[in-house]
Amino acid sequence: MILHVEHPVVEVHDLTVSYERKPVLWGIDLTLPAGSLVGVIGPNGAGKSTLIKAIMDLLPASSGYVRIFDEPIKQVRKRISYVPQRESVDWDFPASVFDVVLMGRYGNLGLFNRPRKADKDAAMQALEKVGMQAFANRQISQLSGGQQQRVFLARALAQNADIYFMDEPFAGVDIATETAIIELLRTMREQGKTVIVVHHDLQSASQYFDWVILLNMRLVASGPTEQVLTQELLEQTYGGKLTVLSKVGDLLRKQEFPVREKRS
Amino acid sequence: MNAFWIILTGSLVATCCSLLGCYLILRRMAMVGDAISHAVLPGIVIAFLFTGSRDSLPMIIGAGLLGVITTFLIEFFHRYARVQADASIGITFTWLFAIGIILISVFAGQVDLDQDCVLYGEIAYVPLDLWITDNNLSYGPRTIWTLGFVTLLIIAVIVLGYKELFLTAFDPAYAAAIGISTSVWYYLLMTAVSLTTVASFESVGAILVVAFLVGPPATAYLLTDNFKKMLVLSVLIGIVTSIVGYYLAFWLDGSIAGAMATITGLAFLLAFLFSPTHGQFFKRRKVIPA
Repeated sequence: MILHVEHPVVEVHDLTVSYERKPVLWGIDLTLPAGSLVGVIGPNGAGKSTLIKAIMDLLPASSGYVRIFDEPIKQVRKRISYVPQRESVDWDFPASVFDVVLMGRYGNLGLFNRPRKADKDAAMQALEKVGMQAFANRQISQLSGGQQQRVFLARALAQNADIYFMDEPFAGVDIATETAIIELLRTMREQGKTVIVVHHDLQSASQYFDWVILLNMRLVASGPTEQVLTQELLEQTYGGKLTVLSKVGDLLRKQEFPVREKRS
Repeated sequence: MNAFWIILTGSLVATCCSLLGCYLILRRMAMVGDAISHAVLPGIVIAFLFTGSRDSLPMIIGAGLLGVITTFLIEFFHRYARVQADASIGITFTWLFAIGIILISVFAGQVDLDQDCVLYGEIAYVPLDLWITDNNLSYGPRTIWTLGFVTLLIIAVIVLGYKELFLTAFDPAYAAAIGISTSVWYYLLMTAVSLTTVASFESVGAILVVAFLVGPPATAYLLTDNFKKMLVLSVLIGIVTSIVGYYLAFWLDGSIAGAMATITGLAFLLAFLFSPTHGQFFKRRKVIPA
């Protein structure tokens, strides 16, 4: 079930990505609507991170092409932001929270220019949005996992981009951070931004996203959440893994019988 | 006056190396600096064979090229032959250095370009090699001019490219996503390391270069959590090390480069034990009341 939209913000055409000549993503063909919260969902090793990295041209594609805002990626870099996985950087790096958030402004500054007051203000505002303004001068090695994630989010916000790619922003964060992040994502959607999130938790996916991409090396489905999160498509995505399947069953049962009735 | 020239040479080398070393250790590439400082040897020899002179410019170009080739080969073996990064470093630089040694022994045996000079240098001879113009004006030691120029160049690169170098060291994936070329800054950094190595090898030798590339930055890393302070501190540590090292050598009547490298190690040990933020001594003390 692959649904295409008119005037997409992201258009992926026949994208194949390989590591060491072994394909990890096969012929991905999808379009995403503007102003939506998109979840990329699939089992471990399904190529979820690979997909967003390939869309951003951080990984070379073996074939296919990507257009964002109907332009090649190189022309719209400034409108794109990225929140990498938290573990991808060294948090013992000698930098403060503010230093990291200010990096969000670097792309717009251009070569040789130093951050000006407007940039510093933007960075500070971004920190306020994630509730971390009190930590501006804190050394990044002293942050908890959830705080690190908020700092990465603030850096992306400081950039004031139009489309955001986020790699597992909910992985290993506390519940307060998770709620804060999803609130923030919804506000961004209201402002007409598009947010594409790699996500591994099926339970919350149906509440968080309005568009879902189901991926397992091949594209299983791409469409509005309620049409995509069906038993049949989830089974196709997760294959015959029993534990996962029973989880999927749980999830669907919950949908069929709301919690209130279950208690009686 | 000789003491002044020697200390100035040491300080200039320390400044270049410490600044670049900060980026290398944070990128977990300190040993790449080690590799480059050795692997530039064939470049130097080939440049010498082509021009027949020991002028700085051809040697800098030769060594710069070899430095970039070295980093490229390390990447290549690591990525395509799927050898571990450290193994790839080990095989690349020993091989290139060995080729350089053979080239020296076969072709350049009759000049004062030998293995000892490359490895240990002789900083004590710096004041003897003066830059004297045709009308007999002396502008001081030749090395000081080369090193001074390289130091200014490196400071300029770091000041102008501060934010790009900072970001590509911390989070290359994000840098690439927002349109900052990680490979341009990577190879720029490696070219700067090659330049520093070749400008300093004659006077201080490859071993002191490695000591200065890793020692002062690692010491500064233990003393501060702010990157700009780390850059400044590592330069200060490098300069103090050169001064103390010189007088240690003077007092012992021993090798100056060796004494400077020794002081580098001692400075690191002191920071390791007594750093107010990361030091073992204070960590222990902090734990006791808790």
